[in-house]
Amino acid sequence: TLTQLEGRAIAENSMVVLLQGLQGEVTTVDLRNESTARGRVVNVDAFMNVRLEDVLYRDRRGKLTELQDLFITGRNVRYVHIPDHVDIMKTMQSQLAKIHRVRNFASHGGGRKEYELLDWSLELTHNTLFLFP
Amino acid sequence: GAMADEVEQQPTTNTVEEPLDLIRLSLDERIYVKMRNDRELRGRLHAYDQHLNMILGDVEETVTTVEIDEETYEELYKSTKRNIPMLFVRGDGVVLVAPPLRVG
Repeated sequence: TLTQLEGRAIAENSMVVLLQGLQGEVTTVDLRNESTARGRVVNVDAFMNVRLEDVLYRDRRGKLTELQDLFITGRNVRYVHIPDHVDIMKTMQSQLAKIHRVRNFASHGGGRKEYELLDWSLELTHNTLFLFP
Repeated sequence: GAMADEVEQQPTTNTVEEPLDLIRLSLDERIYVKMRNDRELRGRLHAYDQHLNMILGDVEETVTTVEIDEETYEELYKSTKRNIPMLFVRGDGVVLVAPPLRVG
């Protein structure tokens, strides 16, 4: 299994952080198998595995099923619909800030490795977000 | 020593050095994305990462299907479109990214 440190390192260098910032939001996930799941995001991990609750699941034929809890493996995600009111920049920045706050707090001894990861993530953030209007 | 405050921001390069740089040039522009399973997306590129996970705004998705007529064996191409205001696209479904196709 993945340690929290590894999970944060993987997540902060990709756009999965945006999905992680959707915790608590109601969204629709389109799956690879042509089905869709609409529910509240409980958690998204570094591999884009998604847990949803209070789900309306529509299979590829259109049949609806209500599910209290749904776990979708990252590989099976095709799209995630972002709710209109979500500010993408702010969400990503606050997610990255959360990751870094945890890291700074925990880094008394084993600080060196975390510092290098921090460098890299700031550069990636700069490169992927810099052209926002 | 102190950490976050000392990190220098790299200046953004304008040269194209690798394929992902070509995508960087399309940030905030409308793009065409060909996806697996006969899908195409047209939308405004807001963000992307090295996996080609992308955020597209004002998206039009086109799904193309082929039906074979049982009697004439003709191929009937049908396309279904839908519009989505803001979409996160998982990169492993992306086949190609290009500027929007221009109809001459």
